[in-house]
Amino acid sequence: MTETPATLPCGRPTAPLVEQVAEGRADDLDAHQRQCPHCRAALGEYARLWAPVAAVTAERPKAPPSLVEAALRTVRGRGDDTEYGRIESPQGHTRVAARVVVALARHLAAQVPGVEVALGGLVADGHRPGGEVVPDVEAGVTGGSTAVRITLAAAYGQDLQALGERIRAAVARGVRDATGLEPVDVTVHVDDVFV
Amino acid sequence: MDADDERDRGAQIDRWLVGKAREGDPQAYEELIRRHRDRIYRIALRITGNPADADDVTQEVVIQLWTALAGFAGTSAFTTWLYRVVVNRSLDHRRRHRAGPEPRETDLAPVAGPERSVVAGEEVRAGLEAIARLPETQRVPLVLCQIEGLSYAQAAAITKTSEATVRGRLARARATLLAEMRSWS
Repeated sequence: MTETPATLPCGRPTAPLVEQVAEGRADDLDAHQRQCPHCRAALGEYARLWAPVAAVTAERPKAPPSLVEAALRTVRGRGDDTEYGRIESPQGHTRVAARVVVALARHLAAQVPGVEVALGGLVADGHRPGGEVVPDVEAGVTGGSTAVRITLAAAYGQDLQALGERIRAAVARGVRDATGLEPVDVTVHVDDVFV
Repeated sequence: MDADDERDRGAQIDRWLVGKAREGDPQAYEELIRRHRDRIYRIALRITGNPADADDVTQEVVIQLWTALAGFAGTSAFTTWLYRVVVNRSLDHRRRHRAGPEPRETDLAPVAGPERSVVAGEEVRAGLEAIARLPETQRVPLVLCQIEGLSYAQAAAITKTSEATVRGRLARARATLLAEMRSWS
């Protein structure tokens, strides 16, 4: 490998120039650099050589969703996806997994201004261990119904009652529109306020 | 909201979710993973240098973190602890799946011409190859600071070294990469 010399003919050390290029400040010249052909040539050369690393930095690959979901399924264990809502129609029926309602509710609640972070859950019926979800989705004649619980942390300074109402409206409308299930109860639990 | 405020708010959300996850709330754990999954994957990808290895590391971390959370003391930021787990697991994975020792700085020899790769529009691949060939001690700070944009202090906490050490290793990594790229020219 060809090492970078420690200093340039003008006396400037090269390490700060390498750092300048690596931090994307190659065009941010100081007074000396504006006048010095050695510094400007070095900066140009380092920028050219550094381009492949800059390209790696600029590239922001995302985790494949299916990969993470498969791992989370392992964490959840079996049986988590066994609860379904059921919407009848003359041609057949549509089944909606409880997890879909949970994910939707969480997403919808998190979009409401004033919500810092939200978790969705389906209301437990008291016969399962705490935290497990048992949606009441079989009730109703023309469609399923579901009860949703949202646990959240709110931003400081909110009217929490009004926030709760906005969340209830957004979640009920969103779940109804997306799944056809009727959210008969949306319980909002404000667990924390972030100052 | 400036970057510092945003980071503080992110840490606050993480603490809340970690607390709930440690109480056994799987929804909180899933949200925690959703917030950090891309960075988990990217760190694993840049350190292992191989997408299949990054897949393995990401899955292992997501599965094992659920039980490992019990051991998270909360004395540092959750992300410091998380990224340390990812870095260590990525290094372990790479060591297990690579034949032969890590290259030393003096071992690094050109393997391809970056100019040719650039011409072929494969700048990223040329950069990845060069990064993958860095010694671990240089690659980790480069990935954390240069690629992921973490501060010296954060990288020092993750690697359990000093900021001065991180700064020195990062400078050496940059010099090594530059020298290697020059050899390819």
